[in-house]
This record gives sequence, structure tokens and C-alpha cells, in this order.
Amino acid sequence: MVARVLAAALATMLAATVPAMAQIKVGVILSISGPGAAMGVGYKAAFDFMPQEVAGQKIEYIIRDDATDAENAYKIADKLIAEEHVDALIGPSLYTSDVAVQPLANAAHVPMIAMAPLVPEPAKFPYSFADAQPLSLMVSVVFRHMQAQGIKTVGFIGFADGWGDQVHAATVQAAAATGIKLVADERYARTDTTVQAQALKLMTLHPDAVMMGNSATPAVLPVAALRRLGYRGAIYGNHGIVSPAFIRVGGTAVDGVIADTSPVAVYDQLAADNPVKPVATAFMTEYTKKNGAASVNPFAGYSYDAMLLIAHAIPAALTRGKPGSEAFRVGLRDALEATHGLVGVSGVYDMSPTDHNGQDTRAAVLVAVRHGEWTAIR
Amino acid sequence: MTPFVFLALLQDGLTSGAIYLLLAMGLLIVFSVTRVIFVPQGDLLALATLTVAQLQAGGVPGTLWLLDALALAALLGEIAGGRTTRRTLAAWLIYPAALTAACWFGPRTDPWFAMLLGIAIVTPFGPLAWRFVFRPAADASLLALLILAMALHFVLAGVGMVLFGPDGASVAPLTSATLMAGPLAISGQSLAVVAICAALVGGLRWFFGATLTGKALRATASDRLGARLVGIDAAESGARAFALAAFVAALSGVLIGAVTPIAYDTGFEIGLKGFVAAIIGGLASYPAAAAGAVLVGVLESLGSFWASAWRDVIVFALLIPVLAWLSLRQRAAGEP
Amino acid sequence: MTLLPAYDITLAGYAGLAAIVAIGLTLLTGVSGQTSFGQASFVGIAAYAAALLPDGPSGLLAGLALTGAAAWLLGLITARLSGHFLALCSVAWGISFYALFGTLPLLHGFNGIGGIPPLRLGPLSLAAPAANVALIWLVVGLALLASRNLLTSRTGRAMRTLAGARAMAESMGIDTVRLARAVFVLAALLAAVSGFLFAHFQRFISPTPFSLTASIEYLFMVILGGAAHLGGAVLGAVLVTVLREELTDWVPRLTGATGNYEAMAFSLAVILFLQRAPRGLWPRLARRAARPKPRRAAPAQPARECPIADGVALEIEGLRKHFGGLAANQDVSFSIRTGEIVALIGPNGAGKSTLFDIVSGQLAPTAGTVRLFGRAVVRLPARRIAALGLARTFQHVKLLADESVRDNIALGAHLAGRAGMLRALLRLDRAEEARLLAAAEAAAARVGLDDMLDMKAGALPLGRQRIVEIARALCLAPRLLLLDEPAAGLRLQEKQQLAALLRQLRGEGMAVLLVEHDMGFVMDLADRVVVMDFGQKIAEGAPAVVQADPAVLEAYLGGVA
Repeated sequence: MVARVLAAALATMLAATVPAMAQIKVGVILSISGPGAAMGVGYKAAFDFMPQEVAGQKIEYIIRDDATDAENAYKIADKLIAEEHVDALIGPSLYTSDVAVQPLANAAHVPMIAMAPLVPEPAKFPYSFADAQPLSLMVSVVFRHMQAQGIKTVGFIGFADGWGDQVHAATVQAAAATGIKLVADERYARTDTTVQAQALKLMTLHPDAVMMGNSATPAVLPVAALRRLGYRGAIYGNHGIVSPAFIRVGGTAVDGVIADTSPVAVYDQLAADNPVKPVATAFMTEYTKKNGAASVNPFAGYSYDAMLLIAHAIPAALTRGKPGSEAFRVGLRDALEATHGLVGVSGVYDMSPTDHNGQDTRAAVLVAVRHGEWTAIR
Repeated sequence: MTPFVFLALLQDGLTSGAIYLLLAMGLLIVFSVTRVIFVPQGDLLALATLTVAQLQAGGVPGTLWLLDALALAALLGEIAGGRTTRRTLAAWLIYPAALTAACWFGPRTDPWFAMLLGIAIVTPFGPLAWRFVFRPAADASLLALLILAMALHFVLAGVGMVLFGPDGASVAPLTSATLMAGPLAISGQSLAVVAICAALVGGLRWFFGATLTGKALRATASDRLGARLVGIDAAESGARAFALAAFVAALSGVLIGAVTPIAYDTGFEIGLKGFVAAIIGGLASYPAAAAGAVLVGVLESLGSFWASAWRDVIVFALLIPVLAWLSLRQRAAGEP
Repeated sequence: MTLLPAYDITLAGYAGLAAIVAIGLTLLTGVSGQTSFGQASFVGIAAYAAALLPDGPSGLLAGLALTGAAAWLLGLITARLSGHFLALCSVAWGISFYALFGTLPLLHGFNGIGGIPPLRLGPLSLAAPAANVALIWLVVGLALLASRNLLTSRTGRAMRTLAGARAMAESMGIDTVRLARAVFVLAALLAAVSGFLFAHFQRFISPTPFSLTASIEYLFMVILGGAAHLGGAVLGAVLVTVLREELTDWVPRLTGATGNYEAMAFSLAVILFLQRAPRGLWPRLARRAARPKPRRAAPAQPARECPIADGVALEIEGLRKHFGGLAANQDVSFSIRTGEIVALIGPNGAGKSTLFDIVSGQLAPTAGTVRLFGRAVVRLPARRIAALGLARTFQHVKLLADESVRDNIALGAHLAGRAGMLRALLRLDRAEEARLLAAAEAAAARVGLDDMLDMKAGALPLGRQRIVEIARALCLAPRLLLLDEPAAGLRLQEKQQLAALLRQLRGEGMAVLLVEHDMGFVMDLADRVVVMDFGQKIAEGAPAVVQADPAVLEAYLGGVA
């Protein structure tokens, strides 16, 4: 720590004598390892396609891994703000990390764009934004589909973790709104090797459909178990499962699973008049060229949109102050709040002083597994 | 709960229990010979599944290269230490070279070939763990050895993530047949798991009872000093115990990897439950460990059915009085 | 302008929070040998209490009360467990509590509770990290001081026996189960204090920092630091916090990738370190600095009065002990008067040690009665028997090898003191402690160990270690002394000194029962000899009479004759 004190002192002296390089620092906090890793890699991979320069300013990205742990995220955010003096934060990509980091970023007047479905509260945290669709939006799309299919009862099965809790909360809300009865709340751990018992429990309750609050490849478990037990009802999931890996591991058992997702996950199947289509296609074409056709996922899109939002706000912020200054960060925040009709790969953003997410139903599409592919449902 | 549901839960619990038992046996072997609680066994299980899955998908698994590198390091270490024997050459030069060749030229997408090759690749990680992690600290306290094992778990989980990514993978099942017992559909794979587990328990009994290597291992377990006096090399016994444990873990990985997808971090909890079973077996008795393994499996299954969100709370809270009873009983019996 | 960069203040805060837990874990695992993979649960209970009752004092009180209650209940079980049972038991509650934090609707599930206000001390707000961190380190300092007080006390000495000398401790009158539970609760309360501060420091909590992994990390800290050393706890906490931080900084720069590499590098570092220093860093750094010398107290005085009253000290009647089908003692009867030395002899396996264990309360007999000073003591726990005035030594020496001779002997004075954990923590026990140490020194002087008081007991030759055991037994101020092979390993001159001491004790009215194989020593010293063979008493009488007994000759020379 002595070394660091010296280094800090040295840095202060240098900063005083050498004019600061004109560049914008963006701190990025992702869950690349730990339980959230399966989604984290998608978030991370998008940074190969980020602009290196915006409005004549070089952009420096400082990417850190919180290992799917909010405490780490808090330490990292503190460090990025206090030592690196970042102008903006992208992430964290984990919901609990967002909640932990939010007060820090706001106290330091650093705008942050949460990439988990955090519902921003501009009145309390004016510097917090979110670019992932609120789960209530995503799950309501799923429940509207259920309603159209005449489904009356739904059983829930999800992870015993934060993601499972969030999807469950959104499910309760959507069920109430659509008059569909929720008959079960079954949970399992992400690392479990069997969900036979939970599947049996669901079977005994005979729901018309099953809603899943899980993600990535462990989401295959309940589908496989239910189908093995002869369950014939529809099985719904959320965008956490929409990746080729789900189908690769699940095989034919997952055929027919329906899920909400971000438009970018089915960029090539979107309706021609969908405003997101060209933007998403441009991004994903590059993305899959580098990472392979099997790498399509909704999460890379949140990283991409976060930077899109920031890049869009930078020119206005530059009129308020130099990068590195508080004036610049305040300008960035104001410009972000004034974003209108910005088309990203995950939807269209219309921010306002009361809405720091700004997405609508254009940000949610339904997909189903058909013949081993995620296929958009119109 | 209908009888059908109960039977289905029982079957589920037994399949999990069989895997826990396999791991418990590995733990027992390693603990009795080296005093190490080999927690990372579960990680080897996951590495085995992921290795076989990658082979079956036509890839060359990173574990093979890691094995080659570590084997080379071990070989150089032996050479530097002047301990090169025909056996070390066979273990750290010829064996990895043969595996690499087999992987390169063999029909690695063939499910059976991939399984055997995968097990062959993962098994040496046992002796390597002994060679590089535990042997240098063989005289440390039990607690220090346990901490080493925990640290190795984090390393191996990291290796799994780096080599195979965060997504889970499945291997092809040994059989896709399904047996109908009344309304109950029993998958052939579940039966195979239980059968292989039973065969392995029998095989190990024979190994420890009838073979020279097995007897030597047993001797080291019961009296380290005495074994040394009659010329049994404790280091050699340790390597063998770890090899057996790693083999058992790899086999478990292939078996369970066909029932459920396994990711880099799935193994730890399976290993933990094997640990529970082994402790219930008093770290000494195989039949008691078998009972413990089945108990844990069935308890989990029932807990998941009744109150899935509360399962871990219930199962592990129930474990505490069981452990207390076992500990007191053992102490009562252990008094001179 | 503060001295440290802002971020290092945060880091120091986390290190301090971990250190508080690690200090408790050092007392629990390092000193008392109770491995816990569940400390993070206790941190969690208090952290959640603080989050739900955010005003400060009530959160702290609720957290301490809840944690104390949970630990006390768990302690009912864990205090009796040993070895891997305890380790696994702690894993079990660690997982159970973690799942509970994530499942209880009151605690907002896995997504946790945010918006916890910063602490206030009266009018002073601790919203500024520096003030908060100062408070945390103040608590670290207090915890260190109190724990050091504890370890240099009567209770602290007793705690060290928990790690593998419980039978010995019980025979010194120590209630090991109660003590183990007290240490368990103390460690949990320290964790609770850390949890309370954590909640107000990070101002957001979720179940993750209270998981099994977090508990493992606390153990990493304690083991790396040096499990049995308080300084090691703080060192380990700082080391692990800073190391993790530096790795998060440096590993991505070296590998060009972010991901699991940090955790791998950290764990590899732990492995390499433990291989080189399995006992941790602290013992390497702190050269065994002179321990705080205990204050010399007033001249020694016996801790309790030795009654000179004439009478029967020990009466054994029809004693029987079966192990399965094996009869270790078969209807043994004899008695010892005060002021008498009785020797118990017989070939190996005759049942002498079993008889010792029954008399001293380590074993329960199958049948028969044992009366100590007229009181039936069968099935009384060893510590109660010790309180009645019986002290013993062991055939296989049971000393705390790493502790000084003085501390080992002072264990015998345990019953002469009353100060408990609380008084020790607050250092209100000094007068009594001085008295106990004086008693220990007096006992040492009696057996001729006064020049070795500061040596480690384990460093003495075996014969000397037996003498330490005798001094420890004398420290109990017993009226009946049981010595198991006291002369084994002694040189001739030492044997003579021992014999002289025993005669002197006899003169003071003490009754002595000894098991010994050295016939010369026995025949010279004993007033009476009891001979056992195959669990039965085959002869009893004056040495000369017994020596001539044909049954005795048969037993000793049996096969040959």
C-alpha cells in the first residue's frame, strides 16, 4: 500500500505538469466468471466492436470482472471512480451489483448504464440508467401469448437465485394482469443435476403451461425432466435461455420452448419494417463473423447499446466540460436523459426525467425453438 | 403423494445417490491413504464430462494439452531430482504421448472411444494433484491439507472455465433405452449408473482384498510408518490413491454427464455431497458411506418435491443432528 | 486531502471487516481446534439485522442477540463434535443459512437489500468512508486487545486444551463442552460485529458475501496468517484482501483477459504459500518474541487447604469393566487411606490403566462402586471428580507441546480460579491470574522445574514431561493423586528426587495411587502393593509379602516357569 501511495503521489505530480490527454474513460463492470459467466461472456465479447473514438475523443474502456458478486462490483466501482476517474460506467451486468454500485456512482456524479433489468428510479438516483428491458415488459409479452393460447394456469420453475427471484416477481405481476392463475413456485439451484422432483410436483398440479425463471444451459433441466415425464403443456422461458448453447445441450427435448428475447437475438428474422432490424443486423453480422454463428445472444446487445447511448450523449456533454471533469459527467447525464428515439440493437430508447430506461414493446420479441433454431414468432 | 410419485422420487434419489457414492469412495480411498479430503474430485468430474463432450463434438480438449504440459513438468522434476525410473517414464512420457496420438489420429467422435479417451485424459490429474499440491505438504496439519484441497478446487474450477467456457455440456448416453415398470419410466442410463456403481464398489472390494497394490494401499492407510518399514513407498501409494479417485470421478462425470448437462462449476456440489456421504461412512466404512449417499440423494429428492425453495435449508439443517449423532456414537465406540 | 488514495480507504475498510471475523476464527479454529466453514453465516445474520433495523444501536443489539442465540443453539451440537464431523457440520449450517438468506421473503431474497444508511455516532455521521474505516479499525484493535487478554488468562489456557487434549482438560476440572460452546459463541459474536459494520459500510447486502465460499475465504485468511496467532488473523485478512485486489489489477494486464484467472492465480498463490509455510506467515515473521512475562506475585501459597484428616481416601468395590466380550476389570476391590502410597502393578494388559480411567471418571464401569472420600463417584464426569480432590497423570503424556511449562502447570490450577471469559476479555482477572501463576510456580518449584518455566513443554525430554504432569496434578491441590508410570524415562537421580517428593506428600496426608513397572522404585516407596493380572486382583499386601506371593510370580513369569 505504501507503493500505491507513492504511485498516487507521483501521478498527482505528473497530472499537474503534463496536460491531460484528451480521452474519455469508460469503466465497465461485468460478471465474466462465477455463476453469471454464461451470460457474462456475451456482454464481454461486444467490446471488440466498440468505437475507439467518438466526437474526436479517444475512448478508453477499463473492463473488470466482478465474479458475479456484488461486493466485488462495489470495490471495483469505487476504484474505477476514485482512482481511474471514469467519466461513465457501463454495467454492472448483474442485478445485485447494480443495486450495490448505484449509490456510489450517484454520489460521485458518474452516470452509469446498468445492463441488468434494473428499474431505474430517477428521482432517487438521477445518474442511473438501464438499457436492458425491464423484466415486467419481457414477461408481459410472454403472458400475452399465453392468454392468446387460452392458457388458464401456469406453474413457475426457476433458479433459487437473484435471477429466479426477479423473473418470479415479474411473473406474479404479469399473471395478475392477465388473469392467469399461478399454481406453483418451484426452485432449483443452478448447479443441480436433477429437477425430477420439482418436475413431478408440477405434473401433480396439472398447469396448462410452465414458465421458467432460469438461464443458460441449466435451463435445459426442467424442460427435459418435464418432457420425460410426459408433460404436454407449453413451456415458456425468458431471454436468459435464448442462446444456441441451450439448443445444443437440450437437443430435441427443448423443441417448442417459447421465450421472450431482445430483438438482436433474432436479428435476421425481424419484420422488415422493424426499426431495430438494420442496426441489429449490422452489429450481429460483425459479431458472428468474429465469434462464430453459434455465438448469437441477447447480452452482447446490452453492452453495445450502452455505448451507443453514451456515444450519442458525448457531443452534447463536451459542450459542458472536458472529459474527466464533473461538468462533463453532469452533461453526459443530462444528454442521456434527453435521449429520444435512439435505435439500439435491443430496442428503441426514449428517455425522460421520469424514465431512465425508455424502452417499449418494440424491445421485446417472442421466439420459439423450431427444428433446432430460435425462430421469431410473429 | 401417490405411490407413483414416491417411486419416481426414489428412483431419482437413487441415481443421484449412486454418483455421490462413487465420489464418496474416491474420497475414502484418498483420505485413508493420504489424510487429504479430496474436495476437488467434483471438479475432475466436471472436467471429464466437458472433455468427453468436446471429443464427441470433434474437438481436441484443452485438458489434453494441460495434461501434456503438467506431465512434462513432472517428468522434468523427476529428472532433476534424479529419480527417473522406467515407471516415471511410462507415466509422464509414454502415457501422455500415447493419449495425444490417440486423440489426434483416433476416431474421437465415436461416443465410446471418446468416453474411454476422456477418462484416460482426466485420470492422471489425480496423481498430478498429489505430485504438485499435496505431496510437497504431506506432513502438514489436517486443516492445512483441507485448505489446500479447497484452493485446488478453485484452481480446477478456473481451469474448467478457461478451457471449456461457462456453458454446460452433455455427453452421449450409454443407452437411450427406457424401461417401463408400470407407469414408471426408468431410463436405461439411470439403471446403468446404478449398475456400474455397484460393480465398481464390488471391484474396489476385490482390489483392496485380493491384489498386491490394493493390499499395499490398505496397509499404508492403517499404518503409515509400518507400511514404510515393510518397504511400501508412501508417495507411490498416495499417487495410486489419487489415480483411483480421479478415475472414479472421471467415470462419474461420463455417467452423469449423459443424464444432465454439466458445467465447469457443477462438480463442486456433487463432490460436496459425496463428502457428506463419506463422512456419514465415518471416512472408513464403505457400506455406511453407501447408506449415506443414498440417504442424501433421497432426502434431496423428497425435499425438492415438498418445498423446493427451502430444500437446501432443510436438507443441510437435517444433516446437523445426523452428524452429531454419528460423531457421538463414534466417540462412544472409540473409547479404549 | 487524506493520506491514502480514496480507494485504498475502501480496501482498508474491507480488510478490517474481514480481520474482525478472522480474529474470532483464530480463537475458534486456530486456538480451540474447531474448524468452521460457517463464519460467514454469522456475519450474515447480523448484517441482515442491521439492514432491517437501520437506525444503528437496535440493529447491533438485534444482530448480536440473534447471532448469539443461533450460535448458542448450534453450539449445543458443535461443542461436542470433533474433526471432520465438525468441519462438515459447519459446511452444513453454512449452506443452510445461505439458502435461508436467499429464501426468506423478509430478507428480499437473493436480490438483497439496498439503501442502508451510514452509521451515526450521536451527532457524528460516518458517511465519509474514512470515518467509517477508522471506526472499523478501532473495533479491530479492541477485538485484538480483548482476545489477547483472553488468551493470556485462565480461560485462554483452558481453550488451548480443546484442540486435542480434552480428556486431560476434563481431568483438570475444565468443562470442555461448555468452554467450547463459549468460544463458539464469542467467535460468532465477533463475526456479528463485523456483519453490522459491513451492512452500514457497503450499504447494500445480498446473500452472496455470506456464502460457503466467503467462509472458506475467512479460513484462507486465518491459515495463511498463522492459525494460532492473533496477529496472523489481521495479517491474513489484510494479505488476502490486498492480494486479491492486486491480482484483479494485474492479472488482466498480464493475460490480456478478464475472467476466472484472478481466482485461479489467488488459489495458486495460496497453494504455493501453504506448501512452504504450512503454519502460516505470522510464526515466520514474529520471531518468537518474549511473551509478556506474567507479573510476579506474592509468595506461593497453596490454592486450597490439604486436609490432614485421617481416613479412607478411595474405596473400590466389585469393579467390573467389559469391552464387548473382553473383561478389562473383573470384580476388583481395594482401598487407599489418606497418607498412604499404594502401587498398582501387573503385566501389560492387566487392566491397570482401565482402572485409572474409571476412578478418574474418563470411563464408566460396567458394574461396581468407587467411593472417593466417602462419596460415590461412578458416572460422575471427570471434572467433578477432580473438584472432589483427585488429580492424575497420564501414561502417554498429555501436555500442550507448544505452550510453556508454566502455562501447562497452571492448567492444574484451573479449579482454583473463578474468572470466566468475560472477566478475561476485560482484563479484570489479573489478581486471580497472578495467584494461579504463583501456584503453578510453587508446584514447579516443588518438583524442581523452576528453571524451566518458560521453555516449551514439548521441548523437554520425556522424563521431564512426566514431571511437568506431576506438577500440574499437584497444582490441583489434590487429596488423592493418581500417577500412571511416573518414573518411566527418569534417570536414577531423578527417580530418587521423585520418591522423596512422594514421601513428603504422603507426610502431608496425601493419598497416592501409582502404576509403575520399575519394581525397585515401587518396592522402595509403596506402603502397599496391589497386583492385577487379566483384569483381576491377584494379590495385595506389603511389598515384601507380595514379592513372595506365588500367584504374583506365576503372573510375571507365567509362561517361563
